[in-house]
Amino acid sequence: MSVEVLGPSAHAEEPRVLGRAGVLRRLARDKVAVLAALALTVIGLAAVFAPVVAPYDPYLTDLTKVMRPPGGEHWFGTDNTGRDILSRVIFGTRNTLMLGLIGVLIGGLLGGVLGILAAYYPGADGWIMRLVDIMLAFPAILIGLAVAAVAGAGLGAVVIALVVATVPDVARVARGAAVGVMGQEFMEAGRAVGVSDRTLIWRYLTLNCISTIFVFLTLRFGQIILVGSALGFLGMGAQPPTAELGMMAAQGRDFLFMAPHIATIPSCAIFVIVLAANLLGDALRDVLDPRLQT
Amino acid sequence: MGRQIVHRLLVSFPALLGVLFLCFCLLQVVPADPAMIIAGPDARAETIAAIRNELGLDRPIPIQFAEYIGRVLRGDLGRSIISNKMVSEELALTIGPTVELMVGAMLIAVPLGLALGTLAAVKRGTTLDRLIMAISVAGVSMPVFFIGLILIQYVGFKWALLPFTGRTGPVWDGGLPSLILPAATLGMVLIGPIARLTRTAVLEVLGADFVRTARAKGLRETVVIVHHALRNALIPVVTLIGLQAAFLLGGAVVTETMFSWPGVGRLAVGAIVSSDFPTAQGAIMILAIAFLTINLVVDVLYVYLDPRLQRS
Repeated sequence: MSVEVLGPSAHAEEPRVLGRAGVLRRLARDKVAVLAALALTVIGLAAVFAPVVAPYDPYLTDLTKVMRPPGGEHWFGTDNTGRDILSRVIFGTRNTLMLGLIGVLIGGLLGGVLGILAAYYPGADGWIMRLVDIMLAFPAILIGLAVAAVAGAGLGAVVIALVVATVPDVARVARGAAVGVMGQEFMEAGRAVGVSDRTLIWRYLTLNCISTIFVFLTLRFGQIILVGSALGFLGMGAQPPTAELGMMAAQGRDFLFMAPHIATIPSCAIFVIVLAANLLGDALRDVLDPRLQT
Repeated sequence: MGRQIVHRLLVSFPALLGVLFLCFCLLQVVPADPAMIIAGPDARAETIAAIRNELGLDRPIPIQFAEYIGRVLRGDLGRSIISNKMVSEELALTIGPTVELMVGAMLIAVPLGLALGTLAAVKRGTTLDRLIMAISVAGVSMPVFFIGLILIQYVGFKWALLPFTGRTGPVWDGGLPSLILPAATLGMVLIGPIARLTRTAVLEVLGADFVRTARAKGLRETVVIVHHALRNALIPVVTLIGLQAAFLLGGAVVTETMFSWPGVGRLAVGAIVSSDFPTAQGAIMILAIAFLTINLVVDVLYVYLDPRLQRS
């Protein structure tokens, strides 16, 4: 942690702001990171503005143009019902990215709170960590399968699985970081002058753990997308005709020998997103929190 | 070491209860009342009540859960709604193939990952190092099914080198060809992380005093790297394999589905798609228990590989 000795006092703000600019400057020196960030931005923008960017209606079937190979008026070709694959990939990216973001955000929030509370209240530590251990006993795919079995397949089942898969690891990382902060002098000082538990937890503890949690979540984002798309591939997620990259790959599998592009293009899209996220996460970790390095 | 294993078992116990409870819940959500199904459409209320009583469905949930654990311990997981076969029998048929697939994947991934990682560490900073690391990042970012799709399309279909659907039999009985593609698919996922961590671990060890001593003694470089550096680098790698067990299991579910490999994962997916709750419950339970077991084994192996931990 780079902010070791900074208490939440007023004059501590300055080095923090400087630090942030420094982070950006150092990231900008890493060409791979810049490229990855650029790719993610373009992909993210395309996903947000999918209805504007997509050249065709992703659900419009055209049986006169079935399984066209990439090229010509359909850059990525058409699928088995003549839908434009480029448009479907753009809309699919939107769904896939949304799944990953929701999973990482909710899971990160819950896990972060659990981990920080565990570090702050030694009495709760054992119980929280036991809960985390139980959650760790369920690999994400299994949770997805179980939720889909109970509540039916759908995007909701995938979100729950991704959240449950994110919480325990984040809780562990947050607890580790928070335990480190707990040992700092400013915590003791805050307590000595009678700062309330709430302020201690939110202003002193959480603010100092957030960069570690953030880096960890960035590193996990790619994996979470992979899990989400695997669940989609297994048919536990988005149901047709909704476009979701994993599910599109699964549908294309039936035509693999006649028109391989139907399955390969969505798979490639997932690969590019995850690769960019991983590269950016690695670079961010090297700059912000080298200790997380494995 | 014995004490550590016992401690570890005690820690996994609540997790095991959690698994059982989740599976128990799976059986509770069956949309229809089992007693009503058994009694038939025009049964009287008393008949249904009698059947409910007989099945124990009117008892409080904790008691039903305890009875469920009793049944599980006796190996009774209920009957499949679809095939009417005992779930335990169906599971018994699928566990072998799944273990085969996972062991096969490890046999491909661990040696390759260790070799690539060590090579990258020894050739640190060269193009080869950068190439290996690039491949490993790419490997981590690949969806399992993408690897599978490529292998099926090229190795299986275009070049017709290996079979890519189903399992022709146990490995020792001519089943090896049908295992290769699924195992390679699953193994590819693991090569990247293993290579990456091995590189870091070997680099760290290469700077240690005992490595310098070994070199000073005049040992050959291969001996130094394999016996001194790699042996110590193995410890974090074993932990990593434990951490990747979740990934391996999830990957196995996808791989089995893709290659029609008759394992537990495919059974689970099929059961969920056809709303066969008893089978889904059994398959998910087995997968979760397998996951707990892998972690347990990894912990024990960890202590075995690092004798320093045995004393504490």
